[in-house]
Amino acid sequence: MRKIIVLALLSGVCGAALAQEAGTPPQGLRGTPANLPDISVIGVIEGHTSSNKADDTRDKLEFSEVETAFQGYIYPEMKADVFLALHKHGTEYESEICEAKVSFLRLADGLSAEVGKVNAEFGKLNKAHTHTRLMIDQPAVLTNFLGTHAFNPQGAALKYLLPLPFYAQAQAGAWNMAGHEHHVEGDNTAEVLDVDQSTVTVVLAPEETEDFSPAGKVYTARLNMSFPLGSGSELELGGSALKGKGSHWEHHEDNIKIAGADFTLKFWPDAYRRFTLQGEYMRLTREVPVGTLKRDGLYLFANYRASKYWNFGARFDYAENAFPAITYERDYALIATRNLTETTTLRAQYKHINLSGEKTDEGWVQLTFGLGPHSHDLE
Amino acid sequence: MTWNKDETMKKLFLTAAALALWAGAARAEIKVVTASSDLKYICERVGGAEVKVESLSSGDQDLHMVEPRPSMVFKLKKADLLLRVGLDLDMWVDSLINAARNPRLFYGAAGYVDASAGMALLEKPEGKVDASMGDIHIYGNPHYWLDPANAKTMAKNILAGLKRAAPEKCAEFDANYAAFIKETDEKLAGWQQRMAPLKGLKVVTYHSSWPYFAARFGLDVAGHVEPKPGIPPSASHLDGLVKKMKAENVKVILTESYYPRKGPDFLAGKTGAAVVTAAVSAGGTKDVGTYFDVFERVITELEKAAEKK
Repeated sequence: MRKIIVLALLSGVCGAALAQEAGTPPQGLRGTPANLPDISVIGVIEGHTSSNKADDTRDKLEFSEVETAFQGYIYPEMKADVFLALHKHGTEYESEICEAKVSFLRLADGLSAEVGKVNAEFGKLNKAHTHTRLMIDQPAVLTNFLGTHAFNPQGAALKYLLPLPFYAQAQAGAWNMAGHEHHVEGDNTAEVLDVDQSTVTVVLAPEETEDFSPAGKVYTARLNMSFPLGSGSELELGGSALKGKGSHWEHHEDNIKIAGADFTLKFWPDAYRRFTLQGEYMRLTREVPVGTLKRDGLYLFANYRASKYWNFGARFDYAENAFPAITYERDYALIATRNLTETTTLRAQYKHINLSGEKTDEGWVQLTFGLGPHSHDLE
Repeated sequence: MTWNKDETMKKLFLTAAALALWAGAARAEIKVVTASSDLKYICERVGGAEVKVESLSSGDQDLHMVEPRPSMVFKLKKADLLLRVGLDLDMWVDSLINAARNPRLFYGAAGYVDASAGMALLEKPEGKVDASMGDIHIYGNPHYWLDPANAKTMAKNILAGLKRAAPEKCAEFDANYAAFIKETDEKLAGWQQRMAPLKGLKVVTYHSSWPYFAARFGLDVAGHVEPKPGIPPSASHLDGLVKKMKAENVKVILTESYYPRKGPDFLAGKTGAAVVTAAVSAGGTKDVGTYFDVFERVITELEKAAEKK
């Protein structure tokens, strides 16, 4: 896989050079006038409340994320996008490279590639940055199987538009994703006697309640298709597969596979109104030395954009956890969004969580704003 | 089993004829994808029988808000030419270009046509530009197609694109272009004549979509239902607008067909002004089938509104 990607990238650079030979017609005006990248900031302020009194983020209104983006062309048909984020993990802010990628927009007819740190296209929602989603939190199945934040490993992906009489794209990615060493170092140590009777500190295996996500060498594949059902409706279907290790594989020696299927159905009755029905199902197969765990999860999301300024949504989540002691989570969420401008939204969300019988009610308000030109790939 | 030579020859002849007909039907048309239905209309006029044009948006859509879809990627993948409105109005086209991976359509390639190139622009912001000014377009107001005279610049840009795509058909395109320019000039003269009595008519518009139209026909835009571009009207803004309309005797509210009627109807109720709902693009309403119909319809409605005044 790695050799194929390297060869494809090399051929893409040659192809991009050839593309320059075409004459440049007079063009209109667009983007940033100076020779600068598009620079933008997305800010997210969230207020959160919960019936769970042990929740650290309960009854707080605070900045939850700042995303800075630098985007622009670095060569004909080559684009760079760097998204840097500062976001809250528990009670502390942490900086992170959300995405930093170079896109080879055309390696050959219908073929493109992305290299770098990327929100991998696994399923429908993982690729989307949080501020572009029509909900505040992410569905439980994504959290339980792909990680608390998006699954965004380092590596490369090849994408190919299939020569079919409808939109169909196949893609494959080879990635590297760091494990969760930080949980192990700080939290799970013990003092034990060495052979010479001295005391040494050893690291224990992490608890099976830590975050779970794919890690190590991860391979992904996805096929998605789209069918217009009329001038005002469209159905997208997708299937995804992932193979890798678990985020604590050094201790748990687990090999994982995730298979997913998704659909998105959209209707546009007029200029502003839109009805969206979206669902994803995932099955996690986790092979650990003592056996194989099989876990399922899904969400179903409906959204109605009633006007240019308002949209309303509802979501049902069902997700089992990735650990040997299985839990069953059923969530029901209601979401209302007011678009204040093209780049500023005010959103409220209520969620009822039933985690194996333990019930919690949560609520959020979220203000998201954008400064400067900011764009994402077609999602 | 016997071999019937005549029957076999007949089948072969019919097959050959069918193949010839199929080949004729599948002749090399220039596949064009446009961002707006107006560009589609003009391209069909200039390209004539040599082009097959599809618009990514319908005339009743707000071009700021078109949602890119995978099926649009499929259209761009096959296209020889992409015509866009430009000036960051149809920014949604960029993600489609990248997703389609069609070398003919990337920015600067021969099949990429920005219809705004060379356009004399209005409302170019000066000094610092930021969101305190609303959803502002940094190069100027992008609704240039609402001056019918600008159709000539749009057609010229389209003509250049078509010639790059099919240089062997230049003569045909030139002839079609000349006919389109002639018809535009004739219609423009007629509309200017009809609008002459309305010169100086004060109007309030919903969004700042009409400065080119107003400049061409001498209308005076006294205000907008939106306090700033893209910002929904607040009660206090509407209240201030009622006072302004009364003070300046504004009797016409011109609103785009896709915007909500709540604000204009409130203003009309308070001031007695007439609300003119107009399609801003071909296909925007049932009776507006072409780009020229946009002007026929809005001018007719403005004449009626002015008569009532």
